[in-house]
Amino acid sequence: MAIRNFVPVAVIAVAAFLSGSAQEPIKPSLSPRIITATRQVVIFTDLEKQMLRAIQSKDQSGLSKLVSDDCIIEMPDADPLPCDDWMKTVLSKDYMLKTFVVRQLSVVDGADVMVVKFDRVQQSSFKGKPDGGEFFVIDVWKKDGADWKLASRFVSKVSSVPFMPKADVKPTGKQ
Amino acid sequence: MKSFQAKIRFASVLLFGVLSMNFLAAQSMRPGVGGDTSPDGHLPGGAAPVRQPAVVQGNGINYHGGPVLQGNPVPIHIIWYGNWTNGPKASDSAVTVSLIEAFLASTALGNSSYEAINTTYGDNTGNVSGHLGFGQAVFDNYSAGTKVRDAALAGIVSRAMTAGLPNDPNAVYLILTSSDVNETSGFCRTYCGFHTHATINGSDIKYAFIGNVDKCPTGCEAQSTGPNSPAAGVGGADGMINVITHETEEAITDPDLNAWFDASGNEDADKCNFKFGPTQIAGNGSHFNQTFGGHNWLIQMEWENSRGGGCDQTLGGPFFTN
Repeated sequence: MAIRNFVPVAVIAVAAFLSGSAQEPIKPSLSPRIITATRQVVIFTDLEKQMLRAIQSKDQSGLSKLVSDDCIIEMPDADPLPCDDWMKTVLSKDYMLKTFVVRQLSVVDGADVMVVKFDRVQQSSFKGKPDGGEFFVIDVWKKDGADWKLASRFVSKVSSVPFMPKADVKPTGKQ
Repeated sequence: MKSFQAKIRFASVLLFGVLSMNFLAAQSMRPGVGGDTSPDGHLPGGAAPVRQPAVVQGNGINYHGGPVLQGNPVPIHIIWYGNWTNGPKASDSAVTVSLIEAFLASTALGNSSYEAINTTYGDNTGNVSGHLGFGQAVFDNYSAGTKVRDAALAGIVSRAMTAGLPNDPNAVYLILTSSDVNETSGFCRTYCGFHTHATINGSDIKYAFIGNVDKCPTGCEAQSTGPNSPAAGVGGADGMINVITHETEEAITDPDLNAWFDASGNEDADKCNFKFGPTQIAGNGSHFNQTFGGHNWLIQMEWENSRGGGCDQTLGGPFFTN
């Protein structure tokens, strides 16, 4: 009787485990290699850094020209945030972006729409409290004439502990 | 009294010995003793080269203690992976094979004033020679399939050695894939190529992956029609040549990923990625910025580790920002 009960329970448990583990791919480790970045990686790394530098220097016009009017930011367990509201926050005196690193950037080329994925590590504070960490970001950029503008951002915090690489670290392929 | 004189004598002998050793050591440390050197460190008239100081810092790129490849020339071996006879793109062809092997010849890129820029890099035993040469090539008929992972590349190199390539830790191996092959770690999305090293068949082997960039021309080609394109829009060979240049320069100056790179992790070629400097127009309307080996080429500039550092097209030439 006990064994008869145990078997179906074990089957269900194994099935649940397998289906659960099948939801996410196995995370491959980073290979040590130094890449020749694609032209899009060069362009969008520069644009992402321009945005972050504009935030650092409280440059409203510099930041606005990189963001589309209907831009929104989406985060887990939250309503979409209009980029206008986000800009008000990050350009305010309450928010301080001290340092940042953009790494592991890749671009899916859709001609007039580019999907840009990267890791962002930053040291920052909001109203005097530490607000930095490591973020996984997916940005959708749309062509606007000759320029690119941020249309959507999907962002998730990976860690609250920012790991800032020291200068002249051995390249790992992450850069 | 005698004892005091003996101490003086002993101290004098000791001082003489120390000064003599310092003098001899200073002679061996003096750079360039024995004659004037040309900018690339070679004596005019074919005399034996005189090594300039091997490690020069302060030019926007830093030395981290690892070795460089000093071969004269550095052999470049090629593994043609996939279908290089009649693949899906027009550039998956014998024409591309022939052009790339000609580009890497010791009489072409290997002896160019462009390659001489690499002589500004060195390690604690000497400088890069500034010479490379095409070694040997083998063809690999999809031994790891059409979806190739990073981990499979060492196996491809190992099989190429079994097929005839030498086992040479002082060479650079290029794995060049046809357009139907996808390197799954980010070819065309993140990179156009990369270099690394691994222990293969007991040796520290330096190798690079470069795919046929006709797979993603907007990401990895400077122009869709190159100076050597057999037809308009068939720019894969010229585009690959640009990436090959990038990877070979870096594999020579940072073969084990512990020699030359800057504070951001950028190696010498990374600092000039897709920056070409002034160009000229070829007969087919394409741009080029180098002529050697009987062809015109469009290849990115290289970071010169002297004169404060900058991107240039030839050793000692003017620096350009784009």
